[in-house]
Amino acid sequence: MSDAIIDIRHIAKVYEMGNEEVHALRDVSLTVGANEYIALMGPSGSGKSTLMNMLGCLDTPSSGTYLFNGQSVGDMSDDDLAEIRNQEIGFVFQTFNLLPRASALQNVELPLVYSGAPRSERSRRAEDALTRVGLADRIDHRPNELSGGQRQRVAIARALVTQPSIILADEPTGNLDSKTGQDIMALFDELWRSGNTVILVTHEEEIARHAQRIIRLRDGLVESDQPNEFHATPL
Amino acid sequence: MLRLSEIGESVRIAVDALRINLMRSMLTTAGIVVGVVLVVVMGWTIKGLDAVWEQTIGIIGRDMLYIDKWNWAGGGNWRKTRSRKDITLREALMLKERMESAEMVIPMARNWGGSIKLNNRTVNSSIQGTTYEYGNTPAGVTIEGRWFSEVEDLQATRVAVVGYGIAKSLFEDIEPVGQTIKVNGHPFRVIGVVEKRGFLFMDFIDNQVFVPLSAFQSAYGFYGRSFSVAVKAGNDRLLDIVRDEAIGHMRDIRNVPPGEDDDFSINEMEAFDAQAKTIRTTIWMVGMGLTVLAFIVGSIGIMNIMFVSVTERTKEIGVRKAIGARRASVLLQFLIESALLCVLGALIALPISQIIVASARAILISGLEWDWVSVTSPVIPIDLLLIAISVSAIVGVAAGFLPAQRAARLDPVEALRFD
Ligand SMILES: Nc1ncnc2c1ncn2[C@@H]1O[C@H](COP(=O)(O)OP(=O)(O)OP(=O)(O)O)[C@@H](O)[C@H]1O
Ligand SMILES: [Mg+2]
Repeated sequence: MSDAIIDIRHIAKVYEMGNEEVHALRDVSLTVGANEYIALMGPSGSGKSTLMNMLGCLDTPSSGTYLFNGQSVGDMSDDDLAEIRNQEIGFVFQTFNLLPRASALQNVELPLVYSGAPRSERSRRAEDALTRVGLADRIDHRPNELSGGQRQRVAIARALVTQPSIILADEPTGNLDSKTGQDIMALFDELWRSGNTVILVTHEEEIARHAQRIIRLRDGLVESDQPNEFHATPL
Repeated sequence: MLRLSEIGESVRIAVDALRINLMRSMLTTAGIVVGVVLVVVMGWTIKGLDAVWEQTIGIIGRDMLYIDKWNWAGGGNWRKTRSRKDITLREALMLKERMESAEMVIPMARNWGGSIKLNNRTVNSSIQGTTYEYGNTPAGVTIEGRWFSEVEDLQATRVAVVGYGIAKSLFEDIEPVGQTIKVNGHPFRVIGVVEKRGFLFMDFIDNQVFVPLSAFQSAYGFYGRSFSVAVKAGNDRLLDIVRDEAIGHMRDIRNVPPGEDDDFSINEMEAFDAQAKTIRTTIWMVGMGLTVLAFIVGSIGIMNIMFVSVTERTKEIGVRKAIGARRASVLLQFLIESALLCVLGALIALPISQIIVASARAILISGLEWDWVSVTSPVIPIDLLLIAISVSAIVGVAAGFLPAQRAARLDPVEALRFD
């Protein structure tokens, strides 16, 4: 699987809680190829967020190996990891995590600030990304001047502005009503169709149905990993 | 390898953060404000002192030597000095005869504890008997009237030239020239006023009255009085030659055996330099001590508030890290914020310092009538402003270092969970 973006083998994550050990992940192996569309499911506490953080290079495994685009993440320095997060990964959070005092445009520009893009290029690319998520007319709004759905769109624009290899979304619709959630899912579908690789965590079967492949976790182990039988390329 | 884009972003965030908590930020900088005010006021004082000193020295002249029984700067063994033979008029005149390298050699007689009376008002003063030539030295420049002439000198005319201080304290509104004063009881006609020369601890030189040496002798006699000799080299560079020559002659005139110490002192302006330096150093040390104290207290406050700021913005730090901020980026962000906080303190301090300097100057000049303070600068000099701002920035970076480092080392996942 040399063309895999993500290749994890026997990943485990143990948290020390006083004298108690919490096995958030026990032994997880999986590969993700280019332009896959994956839904990660499982009961609360099964380790979904832990796995996503690991895949997103925010966290490092207690044991096991992780190859990202063929490179071993375990051997990387903090700064290398920051660079991968900046260039190769787009993160979308349940609670949006926008900077409250910055405009939509400034929020979307932020990853480009850390990649060192010149000012004019930053605003041009950020505007393009906001246009892609349908917020071209809201670029000067601050998060508190936007609806929840619009905030999540800004967050998605921020995730895709660096043209990353993969977009990771941890319960992106968790804080939205179902109508707005469907709009956001339409956006992910669109991203996927245009060639992006997308992994998202969800509790809702209805949301998971958008994906091509569904991975179910239970107690830190992969319970099942199957193509989505209901998946049909939307019209 | 910090990126330009990050520096711009960091400054923007820092300004923003300071603006939101403007009141808190300003209060936090109190220690820095005090520190900067101290630095600036101290710097201004020292600069002023230097200016005053230069002016004093300039007027008196660096090329003047005063050969005297006494060492004006104190120093040496007082008993030994006291047991020296007096310098006689004959010795002074012999020296004048022999000196070749000097421009002027002027014998002088002095009465330290003189009293000067005008009508029924009396002031204390030192009375100097000297020659008409003294009027040609920088110390004998008159601002009103004139110095006595060679003829008045020869004829022992009872005329007096008063120092600036006497003119002020004794005459007040009265025009001194033409008045008759009583110098230790003897009437003298005032013919001139000497320009102001003394500042600070040099004030005494303005409280003198000059009379012709011959008149001094006829009024008080010379018995039991040691003379001194004012020697003007004519040029700073000749000073060493003139000094050597004067010492050689004096030793010869006074029969000092080879190998023994001089039994007279050579007083030069440099002797006073040491005194000025002591004052300068004292101001500097006291000021520095207080400044360092204020900056230490100030930086503890800054460090504290920066820790608060890091904690308040833990989530934000997590978000920034998640989208690719490196450790150095986060470190820089908080260092810049902390430095700006201190620079804000400096900016608050500068107008305060200016007000203090301006009012201190005004009070000294018009309140205490220390006119000589007017040679000091009325505004804070630009180099002091720059020093104050850069010192604050450096203190800010130092005080912000630990909080910034904590921020930079935050684990992104932990930080994102924070609320
Ligand atoms: N920082 C931590 N310290 C200790 N235990 C942790 C930590 N993070 C996660 N855990 C534990 O690891 C397990 C997996 O947590 P994780 O957040 O991955 O679950 P999840 O599948 O995302 O659940 P949810 O659906 O509720 O978001 C849980 O038991 C959790 O308590
Ligand atoms: Mg979770």
